[in-house]
This record gives sequence, C-alpha cells and structure tokens, in this order.
Amino acid sequence: MKESNGVHTINQGLESGSKAGYSNKIFTLRPRLSPAEKGSRLFFLICAILAMGQMFLIMVFLFKEASGLFISKPGSPALSLVDFLGRNDWYPTYPDATFGALALVAGSISVALFSTFLATPVGLGLAAYLSCVASQRRRELFKPMVELLASVPSVILGLVGMAVLAPFLQQALNIPTGLNLFNASVILAIMAIPTIASLAEDALSAVPRDIQDASYALGATCWETIWRVILPSAMGGLATAVILGLGRALGETMVVLMVAGGAAQIPNSLFDSVRPLTATLAAEMGEAAIGGRHYQALFALGAVLFLTTLAFNLLAWHLSRRWRGAR
Amino acid sequence: MVKPPAISARSVSFYYGEFQALRDINLEIAKDEITALIGPSGCGKSTFLKLLNRMNDFVPGARLSGEIIIGGVNVYGPQADPVEIRRKVGMVFQKPNPFPKSIYDNICYGPRLVGVKKKSALDEVVEKALKAAALWDDVKDKLNKSAFELSGGQQQRVCIARALALEPDILLMDEPTSALDPIATAKVEEWIKQSKLSIVIVTHNMQQAARISHGTAFFYMGELIEFAPTLTLFTSPKESRTENYITGRFG
Repeated sequence: MKESNGVHTINQGLESGSKAGYSNKIFTLRPRLSPAEKGSRLFFLICAILAMGQMFLIMVFLFKEASGLFISKPGSPALSLVDFLGRNDWYPTYPDATFGALALVAGSISVALFSTFLATPVGLGLAAYLSCVASQRRRELFKPMVELLASVPSVILGLVGMAVLAPFLQQALNIPTGLNLFNASVILAIMAIPTIASLAEDALSAVPRDIQDASYALGATCWETIWRVILPSAMGGLATAVILGLGRALGETMVVLMVAGGAAQIPNSLFDSVRPLTATLAAEMGEAAIGGRHYQALFALGAVLFLTTLAFNLLAWHLSRRWRGAR
Repeated sequence: MVKPPAISARSVSFYYGEFQALRDINLEIAKDEITALIGPSGCGKSTFLKLLNRMNDFVPGARLSGEIIIGGVNVYGPQADPVEIRRKVGMVFQKPNPFPKSIYDNICYGPRLVGVKKKSALDEVVEKALKAAALWDDVKDKLNKSAFELSGGQQQRVCIARALALEPDILLMDEPTSALDPIATAKVEEWIKQSKLSIVIVTHNMQQAARISHGTAFFYMGELIEFAPTLTLFTSPKESRTENYITGRFG
C-alpha cells in the first residue's frame, strides 16, 4: 500500500476489521511521514533546541558571574543587594572600591521614562493618523517608511545627538554641556517612535470594521466612534506598543553612551548628565580585570538590566494576550 | 385611510466610482409594514438598503442622484444630518456585531450618545429594549456579562435591542439571519413578524421573504424589476425575470 506524503491513512484497527469486513472500533487518523519529512522535523527541532539552549546558557553565565559580588570570599567581602542597588557610590576603580549603583539605575530609569514620555504622544498620534485619517495611498506609502526608520543604526542617531543636538542645546540654554539626560531622551524617543507607531497602528487596524459600522449606524460621529469603540478595543495593543518602546529605550546602549554625558550622578534636572546601566557596561567592561570585583559588579548590572527588560516584555506579552482574549 | 409611506425613493441612481450600482429606483415603502428586498448577489439590494441610513457615505467614490424621502425630509438634502438620520433609521447587520462590552453597555450605547446619563433612565431603556427584542428573559440575570458570551442568535437579538433602544421609526435589516442556525433564525423571524415597526429587510432567502414580509421588491442588475404585495409577487409575478428568479431558474 503506497501513499503520498501527508495523506491521512488509517494506521490502526485494520486487522480486527478485516475479519468481518467492518469494525466498530474507533480509528485514529494520522499522517504518514516519509523519511525525508522525519529528517526535516528533526532538523527543525535541533534548531529550536539550539536557540533556546544558548539563551539559557547566557542567563546561567550572567548570573554565575554576577553572584560572586554577593558571596563573601577571603579578600573580597560580600556586597548586599540593598547596598548594590540602594547606595550612590559607584567608585569601582578606587583602591577601596565601592559599588553602589543607585545613580546608574536612576540614570537608566530617568532616560527611559522621559524618552517614552516624549515618544508616546507622537507615536500614538502617528498611528492614529495612519489608521484613521490617512488615505489608502498615503498609508501604503508611510507605513513602510515608518518601519524603515526603525532600522536606522543607533550609532547614526547618536552622531546626530552629538554633532547637532548637543551644541544646539548648549548654546540655546546656556548650559555647561549639551550631552545630558534631555539630549539622550530626545534621540531615544526618535528611535522608539517607529516601534510605538508601527505596533499601535497594527492594534488600531485590528479593530474590526463591523463594530465601527455598528457605532456609526447608532448615530455616533467619527470622533465618538474613535473614542468609545476603537480606542477601548485597541487599548491592550496600544499599551503593549508603549511598553515595548520603553523596553527598547531601557536596553539601548550606543545612544546613551554617546550623548547622555556619562556622569554617574542622580539627576536633579533634565539637563544634568547621566550614566545609564547600559552605557556603564559598555564603557567599563574593557578595563575591568576578568573575575575581579569590578567585573562581577558589571555582570550584576547586566543581570539587573536583563531582569528589567524581561519583566517589561512579559508585561507586554501578558497585555497583548489579554487584549486578544477580549475580542 | 392610506398612511403616508415610511420611505419613498425617487429616481435614485447610485455609483461606486464609475460603476453604476443602482439605476433609477422608484419605490414607496409602507409604514408599519415589513418590506423584503430580494434578488441575486450583486443586484443592488444591500446597496439600496444602506442608502436609507447613509451608511454608503463611507465608501470612497460613492455618488448618488435622485432623492430619498423619510419623514418628509430628503435624506440627502443639504439640511440633512446623517447622524440624526441614523438615530431615526436603525440598522441590523448581516453578522451579529455586538461591541466588546457588556450586554448592558451594548444596549446603552445609543442612548448614551444622545446624552442619557441617569442610571434609572438607562435601566429602563435596557429592560424595554431587551423585552422588545424578546431577549429579556434569557439575559436579565447576566446584563453585566460580555455580549460575546451569548449564542449567535442571542447576539443578533442584542444588536436588534441595541438599535431599538433609540426608538427608531424604521429598522433596516441586512440579511440578519444569514449567519444564524435554523433555530436562531426562527426566533429572529418570529420577532420581526410580531414587531409593529416599519422594517426593510434584505434577504437572500426567498422562503424567508415569503414567510415574513407584506411587500417584496425584486432587484436585478441594479434595477428594481418588480414591487408588489408578497403573495402576489410569489404567486403571479408580472415580469418574466421575477418568475425565473423565484422559480429558481437563475440566481
């Protein structure tokens, strides 16, 4: 008996049925796989295991290297997690080195929040324009352009921040340096806008046409329909877009390394220089002795960053799932 | 005594861009009666229905000539306000399309748009509309549940109740049972028959038109071929095209 690939055949119960010519037994239907198909399945399985495995190993490595900082050994007293995250004394290269990373965490949070604050209205507005206002032709022109914008290398945006925005800020506001929290946030916002706009546009366009029609047919105006039907339906997706934008700003390294100023201090104003976690890692890893306390502290910063972005992504994932469940 | 018609269409032609979807339609739809629009796919019956509450306004390149008079006013006249018209002329769609909200909020959507805020007034509207749609007994204990938790037939009756909550003069129904199973269809038909509203219903199903309507209009290729009392149209049509369609020779 020969079958072509994927054709469903009855694999069981032929024996018992053949006696009487029929049987009341319930059959399970399964596709019969050729050796080539079995081989390719195995190949894809190996790819999946490799991808997940390396992810897992990176995590193990990160936490293993970081853990040294918090475990006491002769010559290197243990640092408590509270001191690490709660104290503002990042002096890793002093003879009596201290590793209180509060200013670095504050730098990351302030830049990420302020850039999201800047990018959210523009990103959502752009999405609303694309999905509700723009004609079909303009949407087809703009949407790929917005998505293309997301692929501009961050170092190029960093150059713009250094060469254009920083001198401008310094002169216009008469401040000591244009390389500061504000500059970094603006550049990061420019980076995050395409991400937010593209995801938010998907969320708005996914609102079914038929419930919009229902709203109009009940005498709602265009504005009322957007406000009462489209926005509530798309809310989960919009929130996901903003959170992923925030996650992107938090993890971005090159821009903050170039334009945030690099001072490890808790900012008092928008025009203070800051030094986010990512910039610290990139700037200091090269000079830290492998296996030393500084090295371990940098890995601990990496672990903090990893866990934070993981938390944001999980939140976004949860929201988008709930949103899909609602519709 | 002859009642004034609920709707009269006078030499209505309608275009989607260059394509002429309706040709010179003249039709008087009686008040408080059920009028069925039948015809094969693409004949213009749904297009005509959507003209009655200006739902074709959203179609790019839509053009119209002629006039449609509802309640003494030309729906496409310079003074006409589409929002006002859609409140007076309710619509039920082909696929049940409740909002992703509770049953209660679905029914309240229209009244809230016109500014009804008081809880007691809204409660009253919800009960009345759901009773009118013959759904009250099924859902009175779960008004705060999502409308998506109901069966298809119940969802469609939520949509009917939602339209009724605005107390429209006319209800338009665009193949309202085509997505429903036979039992749900029977319930919706039952509701249509006992309602005392002016209803215009587009249907693909000739038996349905015969079962529920007082008058039937047969559309073909954008033209109104014949409009007569339902019994007359189905037993002794004047036009051969009508006869060919209802006897199943085409369509």
